[in-house]
Amino acid sequence: MSRTLEVKVLRQADPHSGSHWETFDVAYEAGMNVTTVMQRIAANPVTADHRDTTPVAYDACCLEEVCGACTMVINDRVRQACSALVDTLLADGAGVIEVRPMTKFPVIRDLVVDRSPMFQSLKRVKAWVRVDGYYDLGSGPRVTRQEQEEAYPLSRCMSCGCCVEACPQFNDHSAFIGPATISQAVLFNSHPTGKVDRDDRLAVLSGVGGIVDCGNSQNCVKVCPKDIPLTDSIAKAGRDTTTYKIRQWFGR
Amino acid sequence: MADQPVSPTQDKYYFLVRRLHSLTGLVPVGIFLCVHLATNATVMAPGEPGAMFQESIERIHALGPLLVPVEIVGIFIPLLFHTLLGFQIIFTSRSNAQQYRYGGNVRYMLQRTSGMIAFVFILYHLWQMHWFGAGLGGGAFELHDEAGVATGAATTAAAIQSAWWVVWAYRLGIVATVFHLANGIWTSLITWGITIRPNTQRVSGYACTALGVVLCAVGLGALRGFATFDVTSADPEAVMSSGTRPAERG
Ligand code: HEM
Ligand code: HEM
Ligand code: SF4
Ligand code: SF4
Ligand code: FES
Repeated sequence: MSRTLEVKVLRQADPHSGSHWETFDVAYEAGMNVTTVMQRIAANPVTADHRDTTPVAYDACCLEEVCGACTMVINDRVRQACSALVDTLLADGAGVIEVRPMTKFPVIRDLVVDRSPMFQSLKRVKAWVRVDGYYDLGSGPRVTRQEQEEAYPLSRCMSCGCCVEACPQFNDHSAFIGPATISQAVLFNSHPTGKVDRDDRLAVLSGVGGIVDCGNSQNCVKVCPKDIPLTDSIAKAGRDTTTYKIRQWFGR
Repeated sequence: MADQPVSPTQDKYYFLVRRLHSLTGLVPVGIFLCVHLATNATVMAPGEPGAMFQESIERIHALGPLLVPVEIVGIFIPLLFHTLLGFQIIFTSRSNAQQYRYGGNVRYMLQRTSGMIAFVFILYHLWQMHWFGAGLGGGAFELHDEAGVATGAATTAAAIQSAWWVVWAYRLGIVATVFHLANGIWTSLITWGITIRPNTQRVSGYACTALGVVLCAVGLGALRGFATFDVTSADPEAVMSSGTRPAERG
């Protein structure tokens, strides 16, 4: 069966120019995902009304939903192009496949965005474990099975940006650092060695753009492709920042 | 996300101010709303119409000269603070409930909408009932007339019956504020880190829904009581002119 897909892409030549829609006809293949669709467009960059155009720029790397590079807004919902199966989109009732870049990050070209704001805020909360020195530190502290089970889901974050894209509080009128960063701060605060920097992280989380800027819409947890319990982390951060601030005011 | 410069003072008090927003919504304003609606519901008490309502308000007005400072410190200042910050919060949010139609997202949008409805309703309501609306043609509520006859329920009822749409304005105001409080309690339990797991949040959701339904019933019941109150049973002169005459405090 030969079948043609109508694919609409929001194009933008560079960070400073405006955007416009282009429509492509792409031959359907069984099991194809949106990254395949972009590959087919790149192989034959001709619009549906037979005009030559440039290949659509897009990012992809792992092709198995672990790197987050291919995150974009597909049929009005933010997700990874590599795991967005065309069959699923069609089964969801979509006649057209509509693809646009994420709106919360600067566009570099077409579907490629600059996610460095995510990495900047990870740096602000020191989302790492400080292991100082190149000498043998001996074996690390013991981590119980239960602690591992709490921490592992949080560690799956790939900084893809889905959660902040869907977050109504993360926008250019607010300084909010976003749910992914809050969750990473909670993860490293729970780590026996990471705890050393606990108060530094809580200081950032209780400042401007911190936890109080969350409005509890819980979109983040709904769209996270890695099923990270973001709202658990948000509530924990709410509790920990409160006790942190009380300690600060009363001179600990 | 936005790179606005942040002063250290702003950074220091940001958390405190936002926690106070949550607290003012809960404690002075939230509790006031519950007590206020319950007091108003006494209009439906059996016996002499409006007598128990009159008695409840008299008990509050027994504060005498302390009443005004108590109202200002206990209600108006916290409410004003909560409202001003509420608008600031609304201006920094970008609702996307059209695009992501999840229950939580719709409630997030409604929390903001109901806050704005509450704001308009409270302004109208204070103008209409409270004595400081008197100079502006409102201030209908009077505890007693010149002769000292109890007119609390009658003047309130007359104001609510003064036009067909007033009852609808009150219905909207009650539903919006009660939703705002019930949903606000649900979010505040997350804000303060009391409900963490999705399961706990589901249970607190049921509890807040139950509270909202009860409070709505109390508020709408009270409203019905005033809307059907026989105003002719009170001093006709006080009632007829109650919408327009500057009120003297009882
Ligand atoms: C009837 C009076 C009111 C009551 C009882 C009330 C109560 C509350 C409560 C309990 C919360 C939850 C706080 C939290 O999540 O920790 C809240 C949040 C909120 N209120 Fe009110 N409120 C009232 C009036 C208003 C008004 C007039 C506005 C102004 C538009 C407003 C705007 C907001 C906003 C925007 C939030 C969300 C805050 C956030 O997401 O952090 N409220 N309110
Ligand atoms: C059944 C519906 C309601 C009725 C019959 C009613 C009646 C009244 C009356 C008669 C007063 C004047 C009391 C006095 O001056 O001592 C008053 C004051 C007030 N009402 Fe309502 N009300 C209703 C609903 C509401 C709602 C939903 C709110 C929302 C928050 C509200 C907020 C207030 C406030 C803030 C005051 C001034 C507080 C004060 O005087 O101490 N009311 N109300
Ligand atoms: S928390 Fe989930 S949605 Fe957010 S960046 Fe990490 S993986 Fe992506
Ligand atoms: S719960 Fe908070 S962080 Fe998550 S999407 Fe809603 S506002 Fe954003
Ligand atoms: S290419 Fe890595 S997540 Fe899609």
